[in-house]
Amino acid sequence: MISPRLTQKIAFSLLLLATLMVILPVAVVLFIIVKNGLPGISWEFLTQMPKSGMRAGGILPAIIGTFYLVLGAVVFALPLGVLAAIYLSEYSKDSWMSRLVRLAIINLAGVPSVVFGLFGLALFVGFFKFGASILAGSLTLGIMILPVIITSSREALDSVPKSFREVSLSLGSTKLQTIKYAVLPHALPGILTGTILGIGRAAGETAPILFTVAAFYLPRLPHSAFDQVMALPYHLYVLSTQVPNVDQKIRYGTALVLLTIVLLMNLIAIMIRSYFRGKKKW
Amino acid sequence: MIIFQEDSVKAMDNKIIHTENVDLYYGNFHALKNINFSIAEKKITAMIGPSGCGKSTLLRVFNRMNDLVEGARVTGEVKIAGQNILAGNTDLLNLRKKVGMVFQRPNPFPLSIFENIVFGLKIHQMYQKNKNKLMEIAEQSLKAVLLWDELKNKLNHLATNLSLEQQQKICIARLLVVKPEILLMDEPCSALDPISTARIEELMQELKKDYTIVIVTHNMQQAARVSDETGYMLLGELVEFGDTQRIFTAPTDRRTEDYITGRLG
Repeated sequence: MISPRLTQKIAFSLLLLATLMVILPVAVVLFIIVKNGLPGISWEFLTQMPKSGMRAGGILPAIIGTFYLVLGAVVFALPLGVLAAIYLSEYSKDSWMSRLVRLAIINLAGVPSVVFGLFGLALFVGFFKFGASILAGSLTLGIMILPVIITSSREALDSVPKSFREVSLSLGSTKLQTIKYAVLPHALPGILTGTILGIGRAAGETAPILFTVAAFYLPRLPHSAFDQVMALPYHLYVLSTQVPNVDQKIRYGTALVLLTIVLLMNLIAIMIRSYFRGKKKW
Repeated sequence: MIIFQEDSVKAMDNKIIHTENVDLYYGNFHALKNINFSIAEKKITAMIGPSGCGKSTLLRVFNRMNDLVEGARVTGEVKIAGQNILAGNTDLLNLRKKVGMVFQRPNPFPLSIFENIVFGLKIHQMYQKNKNKLMEIAEQSLKAVLLWDELKNKLNHLATNLSLEQQQKICIARLLVVKPEILLMDEPCSALDPISTARIEELMQELKKDYTIVIVTHNMQQAARVSDETGYMLLGELVEFGDTQRIFTAPTDRRTEDYITGRLG
């Protein structure tokens, strides 16, 4: 018979072990990428065109490409997502229609990213004849991050106390004014956080841009929204599997840049959240 | 004889709110039953009664805030300054400007004191470009709620960091800038300590000179202290309504007597 005290100790150790197991992969991934990638990072690497079949030079076009794609996705998805969230949270009654919309959003979040890629290929590249372009890629990424933005915006709107709306209405405002002046300003931090998380996700995805925009090798910067671009995640894939004899530090350097961008986005989101959490009191 | 004389004086008061056969239902629940009474202008009228008796609901009839509750339905007539506000074509925005509300919990926005006070002007797009005018109105309004001296140097401080009493006064100040005529107060002191409560009551006496006040409270002493007329409500019915002193000293209805003597509630 094991004493309860010992049982407790064993249970505690198991729980601790499980928790450490969660940290372990993150730590190892970070360690390997930083260790192998850091030697590849230099000013030249970040600001130059790739050279000699991507085996030397920099990754500037991929960084710029990712930047444009993310920007385009946000410009498209943020207004659409916030407006939809406002409608769902503030206006829609609990009807079969609104339940259907909610269900659609949940499902949209669960669609595999490669399916978004195919969808973008069919709709934007093919049907709308945008061709493989920044526009098509941005729209595809935008649709992919739409559920993230809608869901976090709705949470942010719902967390604004009902009393704010009551006060505003009781002072003689319309519903729209109430949303504009008494609800939205207080939901903004949450909306921003969700958007930044969406940006992080958009920056890191490969599949949605695979068929819609990403160029295998294009050592120049784009001139218009109808140009193809290189993008970091796809470039990483190309370097790792399609081009023989690429120096390890270039591959890991690319991964490190991508990882840094995504982690930076998450960090900013966390900082915004904690800043406003300290400020709000209700 | 004296009592009759008093009553005839009462009859000469200007009545600003007048209800006729008001019934209110939340779905199937009959929350207000055939309410008929009048509220005098520039007086303090208190509505008392146990929790759930419908006194807050009645208050929210006067500025149509019950419209926000799904399934709420009102019948009858409520005339404010002669207009039936339950009519379908009532301009709710104007009504709510004229009939303002102070809520149970102080609810300033997490903005500065100044921004809180001029919030109503932002909604109504008044003086938005005239900073001096806004400042002047904020000053008047803070003076009206007896806070100017305490807060004049802190106008850009966060209103949510003030004491609850100050917060509640800020909420009243925020209300005054839209120039209401009637102030509905829904248990405005229930979150406050006795000293703060006394100060709010003092403020109410001050405000009574310019505004008609209807206060809902379950603190009977408060009703006795501040109000001119009192109504006792029970299970959605207005059991008795009249001069505060008379209600508390010589109630005519047995149920009122039970409540004010502490046998019920």
